[in-house]
Amino acid sequence: MIDVLLLAQESTGFFPTFLQTLIKGLALGSIYAVMGIGFVIVFKGTQVLNFAAGGIAMAGALFMSILVNDAGLPFLPFSNPLAPEIGTTPSIPRWLINLVLALIIAAILGMVLERIAIRPMIGQPLFSMAVITLGIETALGPFNRDATSLTARSLQIPWGLEQWEFLGAGIPKSYVGAMVAAVLCFLSINLFFRSRFGVAMRAVAFDQEAAQAQGINVGRVFSIAWGLGAALVAVGAIFYGMGPFPPQGTVSQEIHPVLAFRVLPVIILGGLDSIPGALYGGLLIASAEVFAGQYLAQWTSVLGAGYSTIVPYIVMLIVLLVRPYGLFGSEEIRRV
Amino acid sequence: MKFKRLLALFMALGLVASACGSSETDDGAAGESESSATTEATAEEETTTTAAPAEAEEPAAEIATDFGVTDDTIKVGLNADLSGPFASLVAEIVEGQTVYWEVVNANGGIAGRQVEMVVLDSGYATDKGIENYLTLAAESDEGVAMISENTGSPITAAIAEDAKDDDILVIPLSWASLWADPDIGPNILEKGTNYCIESMNGISFLADLVTENGDTPKLAILSRPGEYGADGFAGAALAAELLDIEVVYAAEGEVAGDDRTAVVTQLVNSGANIVWTTLTPGETADIFGNAVAQGFEAQWSGNQPSFNYLAHLGGDLAESFDQYWWQSGYTVPWNGNDSEGMQDLVAAFTELRPDNNLSDVYAIGWMEGLMVQTVLEQAAANGDMTRAGIVAASQEVTVDFKGLGPNQSWAGSYNDSVVRESYMFDADATAFDIQPVSSGTGSTGLFIEKGPFVSEIVADYVFDGPCI
Repeated sequence: MIDVLLLAQESTGFFPTFLQTLIKGLALGSIYAVMGIGFVIVFKGTQVLNFAAGGIAMAGALFMSILVNDAGLPFLPFSNPLAPEIGTTPSIPRWLINLVLALIIAAILGMVLERIAIRPMIGQPLFSMAVITLGIETALGPFNRDATSLTARSLQIPWGLEQWEFLGAGIPKSYVGAMVAAVLCFLSINLFFRSRFGVAMRAVAFDQEAAQAQGINVGRVFSIAWGLGAALVAVGAIFYGMGPFPPQGTVSQEIHPVLAFRVLPVIILGGLDSIPGALYGGLLIASAEVFAGQYLAQWTSVLGAGYSTIVPYIVMLIVLLVRPYGLFGSEEIRRV
Repeated sequence: MKFKRLLALFMALGLVASACGSSETDDGAAGESESSATTEATAEEETTTTAAPAEAEEPAAEIATDFGVTDDTIKVGLNADLSGPFASLVAEIVEGQTVYWEVVNANGGIAGRQVEMVVLDSGYATDKGIENYLTLAAESDEGVAMISENTGSPITAAIAEDAKDDDILVIPLSWASLWADPDIGPNILEKGTNYCIESMNGISFLADLVTENGDTPKLAILSRPGEYGADGFAGAALAAELLDIEVVYAAEGEVAGDDRTAVVTQLVNSGANIVWTTLTPGETADIFGNAVAQGFEAQWSGNQPSFNYLAHLGGDLAESFDQYWWQSGYTVPWNGNDSEGMQDLVAAFTELRPDNNLSDVYAIGWMEGLMVQTVLEQAAANGDMTRAGIVAASQEVTVDFKGLGPNQSWAGSYNDSVVRESYMFDADATAFDIQPVSSGTGSTGLFIEKGPFVSEIVADYVFDGPCI
């Protein structure tokens, strides 16, 4: 059986197959990393793991879909002047401008949710705040489902399924787009943490009360963390919507709701409060998932259908056994 | 450490969510009926007799009734997925039935009674579906005469036993080959071609295409877990055996989870030139899109739920679907022929729902209406519109779908009652143009290529029971 598979791969070329798999792993890893950073930002700012990230991410992708498909804007009485003509695919610059708009709307959603549901909980047990985020996730569910169930929600990707040929391998433009987006997000977040707000966020993460005593507006830090976190997970959801990723250019009612759950191993592996950890964790987890899917396929009957989606959790468990605080997480030191 | 504990809990949740993939699973349907309760009261105990209104068509002198039928109203129930994974399709199917009853009621109703729909949303959740069933089947004023639509194999399997005990007729929105088997669901009035026979006809069609091009057919079969996947797969495997086609890749129930890299890899490397899918539209798009992106060329088709023209012909993969995909189905697409049924359907929607977008699935709801009307009129003619009388009437009728699909009757053995005809549609992305009904233009991009037809292997085959 192995020989058969190797022969078949030889017919398409071992190296092109390997290269395609590697690029896919890096692209998926980029998406995991960006979404992971979204989790980490909220955690660093508020010490809360944001279980509402999935709902917010899908809502962000829906905002993008509405902006590029419909003349109107959600909740606003006027139309989007930057929307492409209905029925036409937008140009890349126009699509990117609408992407920025969608991320701004997603960030506002995150900030509003924080103000309504999280801010009143400041000072309460972290467990309660985490459960509140679960409640937000549940509340966003019907909105997301209704918005996707009645009509197909296309993301109007300007490059569709186009790909470049490189050394015999097909490299989808969407994969490269995801990697570029991850690099830009990573650089932007690093710059942010060097700004005044970034330093304030680090101070709040270190000790909320001490930071408040130093005159830092903790509420504003919370708000910014949720806004940034929401925009980042929305970036991940939008780029994951591009073909040949499974949703194939749409906001998927099947796939998008569980995307954030798939990122949890990434942040556990990388360390809950580490941005480099989210980056490396994302790349490692996604590569493991994609390479397992590609090169263990002949053992599906033994490993079980959908085995590759289990791989991230196996990798996570193995790493946690060796490094309980993740690859880059801060070790908790307690006096006993 | 509080976080570690909390995370451990949600890791487990995440694991389950990822492994399960979509919520469109058909798993675990069979055997769940034990969780729903039935009442001991028999229909006969509460049967009453009322005089039929004078305006009824050839009414019996007296019509016996029990639940859901009064002197002026007949209540039919719909246990529909209006908020779950199939909501977009089911909402339009329900709309098709709604418009049908508006037309029937405007013309005097059935046996002089107006038909009233009671629509409950299951969200495609089996527990909610059972709860809805118990409401609809209540032996009280709240109960309905029959259930004119019950979405999905899992919920249908869960209520089949209760429907038998309650002696209430149920039309499933599911095409599993199980429903024609009296041992499984004597009160489940299946409609249209089942997945198994559809697979057999579809693969025969694809094999002919490949053979005409001078190639030897090599088949890949992709299916998801659950009754739907199993039934479609069983038909495909049977077709391969009867047509002596080599199956080069058989992913039976293996399309699960969100990452389908393994399936795509094996498919692309299999050398198949025919692919048959029993999947959800999302799974189809993912596997088809990735395979085509890797240069895989084959003739593709699959059971009807594999394909969604809105997502597939309206998305980035439209050109590829146009090139490689043949859609299989049981009913004629919107404006797909000049039959009496299609003319009635289009005229009714143009008059009553001019702003609705055109849809291929209105016809399914319309056909459910035709089934219910035919059965209820027979029951009225028999003078027995009790639930038991309606069940009995269903075994006496042949429903004329007026060209929207093959006519159907339910009397006789399993082999006698299964519908053997299906359609193959050409997917034309350039024609895809969803417009309001009132415009009189537009298309879902699907056109009848062949059908209704019965392949040789289906015509000759003796079905002694369900394929699974």
